Amino acid sequence: MNIEIHNLTKMYTSSRGLLPTSFTVKKGELVAVIGHNGAGKSTLLKTIAGWHPPDSGSVLIDGDQVSDRKKVIRKIGFVPELPSLFDAFSVQYNLTLFARLFGTPSSRIEEVLTEFDLLPFRQSIVRNLSKGLRQRVSIGRTLLADPAILIFDEPTAGLDFEITNEIHDMLRGFHAAGKTILFTSHRADEISSLATRVLMLHKGFLVFDGPTDDYLRATATEPISLP
Amino acid sequence: MTPPIITLIVNDLAIAVKNKSVLLIIFIPFFVFISLKLVDQSARNLTRATVGFVRTEAFSPEMTRALSATGSLIHLLPIRDEAEGMRSIRDKKIDGFLKHSDIVRDKLILVVQKKEAVQTLAIIESMGALQHAVEGGGSSWVSEVRSVEKGGIGIQLLPTWILMLVLLVGFIILPGQVAEEKEKNMLLSLLQTPMHEMEWLGAKVVSGMLLSAVAIVILHLLSNYRPEHMGNYVLFILLGSFCFCSYGVFLGLLCRNQASARTLGVIFYLPHLLPCALADYSPQLSACAPYLPSYHLLEPVRALLFNKYPLSHFATDWLYLATVGVITLTFSYLLIKKRWLLS
Repeated sequence: MNIEIHNLTKMYTSSRGLLPTSFTVKKGELVAVIGHNGAGKSTLLKTIAGWHPPDSGSVLIDGDQVSDRKKVIRKIGFVPELPSLFDAFSVQYNLTLFARLFGTPSSRIEEVLTEFDLLPFRQSIVRNLSKGLRQRVSIGRTLLADPAILIFDEPTAGLDFEITNEIHDMLRGFHAAGKTILFTSHRADEISSLATRVLMLHKGFLVFDGPTDDYLRATATEPISLP
Repeated sequence: MTPPIITLIVNDLAIAVKNKSVLLIIFIPFFVFISLKLVDQSARNLTRATVGFVRTEAFSPEMTRALSATGSLIHLLPIRDEAEGMRSIRDKKIDGFLKHSDIVRDKLILVVQKKEAVQTLAIIESMGALQHAVEGGGSSWVSEVRSVEKGGIGIQLLPTWILMLVLLVGFIILPGQVAEEKEKNMLLSLLQTPMHEMEWLGAKVVSGMLLSAVAIVILHLLSNYRPEHMGNYVLFILLGSFCFCSYGVFLGLLCRNQASARTLGVIFYLPHLLPCALADYSPQLSACAPYLPSYHLLEPVRALLFNKYPLSHFATDWLYLATVGVITLTFSYLLIKKRWLLS
């Protein structure tokens, strides 16, 4: 499943946001979007996921505009940095709610609970769970509809080593299953061990787009020139 | 070095300014003050009362002459019979009417909308002064004051409590809920499902209407009073709930977080409640209340609680409520479409 971005722009203020950006992501790629805080990484991912309408430009998912929700809604799954769950309710409640909204059978809830090792926590109230577990529930909820494209905004931010490794294994598993993945990160080890391609943003500009090896080589010899 | 407590106090004040709680602090006393001021003034500056008298009944010539002579205080209007008088009071064409007492000979009964209304007190006061001037004392012409509204003060205040509940759900509870879903990115997550934006809006409005309905049912069970026209009464309450729940969802969507939503809710709650609740006690408030949608819920509910009226009698009211509901719902939809202040 291809993602085509044409002159995508989304500005919050005159100096913050995403300046005209174009690139294409092919099916099965695992793309790391990197850059400093405020570079426009989250804005880019949220605009691709349809969380933000763009100021101009377009996002096409297999030729369909992302604004055409009916056509693309089941193709993209977005996992925000902070899990957005109904935290006063149980894990099971959250999954059931979203499964009903997606129209997926209840057997899928069992599959997700099993796949993400959430069976012992199915009746636990979300706000009482650790950050790592909440992130797992959030990813599980996104996977309910089995989207072909997965977008993660800083999936390991604030997580300990063990949970981070767990999330990395999950991402590798999704990649091996043929899903197209985009994720933002600040961590060099994450980029080198996971990504097949790197997009680097600086102050809203796309300043690097290439394979991970090229990025690592370029940054090892001389810094990437910034506008 | 600044003590930590001072730093924290300044920080808390800054947060209060940022989430507009400070507006609430200013707004509530200001609004209550203005309302009470209007109520106070109304006691000194009353408009002329229009009093009907049943044409077929014989009144003492001294009294009718005296009442007619005080044109600046009381305007006398002949009416065909008691039924027309009742109708004219409900339609607010007259403030009250006089008829002969069936208990005390040569005495009158003053029939009014509400016994405790300021206009009623003014009529009695004026008639007492006239009687004193014409007859030089003796017992009052009016031996009894009757209200067209049934039940005690508790039942008479029931429509105001209903309005309070509907407004509470619409302006306080719903905006907070909506803003919380926005603040925690739940709304955006829900919009990542095939659900349509209008479904989310509809669910919010209906849940608000249900909350209002439950509260009103409890209120009725406690007061043990059955409306005269149950069907139309329920319809009007549902329409009013729809209007204010749509309004509340719209307010919630305008805010980034719960704190500002609750503040904004209170800012809208009081001006919709107080002018209508106090309209009977102030000509100024009763002049401005009809511009508020809350008035178009309160008045029909009050009328349908005590009398049988067809729905067509309140065409302006239900059109007003439905229009406000639909307009705010449309604006809410546009805000969600634009992902206004979301994430």
